[in-house]
Formats: sequence, C-alpha cells, structure tokens
Amino acid sequence: MTLNLCVLTPNRIVWDSEVKEIILSTNSGQIGVLPNHAPIATAVDIGILRIRLNDQWLTMALMGGFARIGNNEITVLVNDAEKSSDIDPEEAQQTLEIAEAALRKAEGKRQTIEANLALRRARTRVEAINAIS
Amino acid sequence: MKLVAAAKVRRAQEAVVNARPFSETLVEVLYSINEQLQTEDVDVPLTNVRPVKKVALVVVTGDRGLCGGFNNFILKKAEARIKELKTLGLDYVVISVGKKGNSYFLRRPEIPVDKFIDGSNLPTAKEAQAIADDVFSLFVSEEVDKVELLYTKFVSLVKSDPVIHTLLPLSPKGEICDINGVCVDAAEDEFFRLTTKEGKLTVERDTIRAETADFSPILQFEQDPVQILDALLPLYLNSQILRICLGFTIDGAKPRLLERFWRLLLVLRH
Repeated sequence: MTLNLCVLTPNRIVWDSEVKEIILSTNSGQIGVLPNHAPIATAVDIGILRIRLNDQWLTMALMGGFARIGNNEITVLVNDAEKSSDIDPEEAQQTLEIAEAALRKAEGKRQTIEANLALRRARTRVEAINAIS
Repeated sequence: MKLVAAAKVRRAQEAVVNARPFSETLVEVLYSINEQLQTEDVDVPLTNVRPVKKVALVVVTGDRGLCGGFNNFILKKAEARIKELKTLGLDYVVISVGKKGNSYFLRRPEIPVDKFIDGSNLPTAKEAQAIADDVFSLFVSEEVDKVELLYTKFVSLVKSDPVIHTLLPLSPKGEICDINGVCVDAAEDEFFRLTTKEGKLTVERDTIRAETADFSPILQFEQDPVQILDALLPLYLNSQILRICLGFTIDGAKPRLLERFWRLLLVLRH
C-alpha cells in the first residue's frame, strides 16, 4: 500500500509524490502517519513536517494550515512551506534574531500578535535546518 | 516587444493555474466541514459580523506608470469610497499595496494609512501573506470591523472595472460579496486565456466550478471543529487575496500589449 503526500501552498505545489511515512506537527501534538491511517482532519501548526522516503528522512518547515488524511492520500494546505534544503542557514538565523528583537519592542495587542507569529515562523525555519536526522 | 508583454500575461496565467489546486482543495474542505458544523453553534472570529465603526480599505495598485490609466481610476474610486464612509459617519484606515498607490498616499498625510506594502510584478504568496496578516490582526483585535478590498476586475482586453469587495468578515458559506451585497460563490473560479481570433488578440474567460462532492466518509476532527475552521479561514483569506492580485497582474500587462500592438500596426501601415 502506498501513501501519497501532497503539500500545497496558495501559489504552488511544493510536494506531490509517494512517501513511506510522515510526522506532522499539529496544534494538539505530533501525528505519525503510516499507510492505512484512519481518515482525519487536523489543523497544522507552524512547525516541522518530517517525511520518510525509504530510510531517509527529510524535513520541511510549514507555516500553519490544515491537513486531511484518508484513503492513503495526505493533503496538506499551508500558507507557506520550505524544504530544509532550500533554507539558507545564515539568513534563517538572522531572520530569527530580527524577529526576537521585534517581539521585545512590540507594544500593544496587535503588534504582539504579529511579532509572535513572525517569531514562530522564524524559529521553525531554523529548527528545520537543525533537525536533519 | 509584444512578445514580452504576452509572456508576462502567460506567466500570470500560469500562476493562476498553479494556485488552483490549493484553492479548489480548500473550498472542497470548507464546504464539507461547514456541512458537519451546520448544527453546531460555532463562533469563528473571521466570520464575526459586528456593528461597523471602522473600515479598513485595502487599495491595490499596479507598479508601472504605463498602467496609469487604471491606477488613477482605482485611486479616484478609493477617494470616493473614503468620502462615502465619512458621510456615513464611519472611521477608516487604508492599507496601500503597490508603488503607485504608496506614493499617492504618502503625498497625502491627511489620509490615515496602516501599512504600505510594495507590490511586485508577479505577486507571491509572501505578499498575499503580508496583506492577510495585517488585515487579520486588524480585524481580530477589533481595531476595525470590516475590511474592503479595492482592485481592478478584468472584464475584457479594453475594459476593466474598479471593484470593491468585502474581504472580512468572511461569509460562513464561502461567498465573496461586494459592498452592494451581490455575492459570488467562492467555488467558482474564473480564468483567462490569451488567444487569437481572426488574427486579433482576444481574451477568453471560462468559469470553472470546483467539485464540492463529499471527499470520503466523515472525517474525524483531531481538534475542536472551531480550531479547524480557525486554521482554514486564514488560508482562505490568503488564497483570495493572491487570486485577486494575480488577476490584477494579468490586467496590468494587457494595456502595454495593446499599446505595442497599435504601434506595430501603425508602422506596418506606413
């Protein structure tokens, strides 16, 4: 039984091929998906998606969205997704530092909400590079 | 020269085509979850209809001076809408997208602008995200009660209409409504094909309706249905904004195309 993974962002298809297993970060914890998983719908947190192809794992940074799993088809809809191989480590680290500084300076509810979001996204990108296993 | 503008239209069209898998799947999912939620009393912040005291007006302009024709149209329409809102006793704030609009509003400090966002010739998800983020936080923090989007709707190669759509609050049925309350089903998607007919450049429009059939037996929700909707609606917002911006890009390329076509004709005639 083969498992097909489809990762879509508003402007492109980031991934559309078979995988052996995935580990998805959701708002209620991590979900491991193997073939013949029960059909579920879940919100996807800003976090790491781990994909296993044969014995190799690769990581993708997801910027929040939704996933539906069923009939051995996984469809992930996210605002943005980046393969860890496409992320420049230095740039990601710099972006993280800028985001941290912005959060310290944030005033008021709205700025804090925006700064927090930016920080979580920046952190996820850095984690994606470091989480290669 | 004609080829350059035609290439731009083609690239914009490709972008629209690339955007379709996402929005089709999203609409399908929204429909099926909405069905499952009909009986529940759901409070979803982005669909929250409340008495309007302040409106955010997102004004989308093109970058190039050559499209000046309809940039001026849009800015005039923006000024008209601002006047209307003032007459209704409503407060307002502008979010400007695109260099032309940005410089226009910078020269007018009496108009409050929340954010200036640089456009680009082919808007990416990042730009749509920037607009969505700003609009999202303004609406959810209740700083504004309504968000309207002002842009140019492509009608034909020689006609465009400036349109104002209500972006937020989102209609729970997934409809997109303009300010007169005329609603369009979000499952419908228009796309354009640049072709030639009898030697003349034309654009054909097709409407595609996304399949909204049931995906599978009832999906089990990992979280509360409200959390799932909370995750879906920003995605929907992003994709709508991107769709509108892409439509605008196709629009921007075509007056330049026409202009070159005429010039070529004039040259040939002599």
